[in-house]
Amino acid sequence: MQSDDEILDRIRGTLVQLFQLEAGDITPAARLYEDLEIDSIDVVDLMDEVQRHTGRKVTPEDFHSVRTVGDLVAVMQRLLHA
Amino acid sequence: MAAHSDFAPEVSPVERRRDAYVWRLLVTGVCFVLFGIGAGVVGVVLLPLVRIIPAARERKRERARTVMRLALRLFIGVMHRLGGLTYEFRGSERLGRPGQLIVANHPSLIDVVFLLAFVRGAGCVVKAGLWRNLLTRGAVTLAEFIPNDSTADMIVAAAGALRDGQPLIFFPEGTRTRPGQPMVFHRSGANIALRAAASVTPVYIRVEPTTLTKAEPWHRIPPRRPHFTLVVGEDLDLQPYRAAPLPVASRKLNERLQAHFEAELERPAC
Repeated sequence: MQSDDEILDRIRGTLVQLFQLEAGDITPAARLYEDLEIDSIDVVDLMDEVQRHTGRKVTPEDFHSVRTVGDLVAVMQRLLHA
Repeated sequence: MAAHSDFAPEVSPVERRRDAYVWRLLVTGVCFVLFGIGAGVVGVVLLPLVRIIPAARERKRERARTVMRLALRLFIGVMHRLGGLTYEFRGSERLGRPGQLIVANHPSLIDVVFLLAFVRGAGCVVKAGLWRNLLTRGAVTLAEFIPNDSTADMIVAAAGALRDGQPLIFFPEGTRTRPGQPMVFHRSGANIALRAAASVTPVYIRVEPTTLTKAEPWHRIPPRRPHFTLVVGEDLDLQPYRAAPLPVASRKLNERLQAHFEAELERPAC
């Protein structure tokens, strides 16, 4: 069982690596589209990473309600414990 | 009576109508009607036959694509023979390879007709409205074309089709070029290319003079008979983009792709 903080750390590492973002900008409240400029095409690349990390099949539907980094943490938790 | 003044300066006179203007206007109207009738025959007779003749899903998909290709090939022949347009398609024999992503610019309504008529077995990313139109819904469903409404679903489906070995036609502009405005390529094409394409082949489409653009109704036909030139370019080398993570690599490839098309289309078709 991983804590939300551990998952957040992993997401931070992934986002920094994939999108060349500043680690400090990646907070749970940060909005993917508006604050981090991650668009709908990037989200598909992000889905692949989540799939790799969780070992679960990820579909676009899983991501429909994701708006913030916090939402992403919640999706990861759900996938890890599904 | 200013119209006939001898002193009126000659400022960009409207180009004189030629090449049997009235006939071409009639042909254009007739072709729209013929397309509707053809789509009806294909959709009501031929594709239902494909659907009920027992075969694996993939087999039915290939049959549906063949029916549509031949019907569109016939349609182009009719437009050409009636004198509505002239065209040349250079290098079409290099299209239709397994897993090939065919990327084209989109100056006119009938670009997709040309590509679907000349490329064997190809799928195509097309606008989602075709699934809501009774005339086209059956065809795009059976041929397993891919709707462009949801970016994520489209990318997943397009990559899947390419991995499956299908050739795929993609217009990175998403919609027809607005005359006089620069092309804007959406990054999804570059993303799909790096995800799953066995090869990426550009097709440069020129229409001179422009016709059936985004900005004009069907009856505003050009003063001269339009000439379509479709040129198949060299495959793009994706190797330089393989090292970086996809979000970075697809941005670079998309910029490269767009610059490539801009440079190529700037030159005359020679």
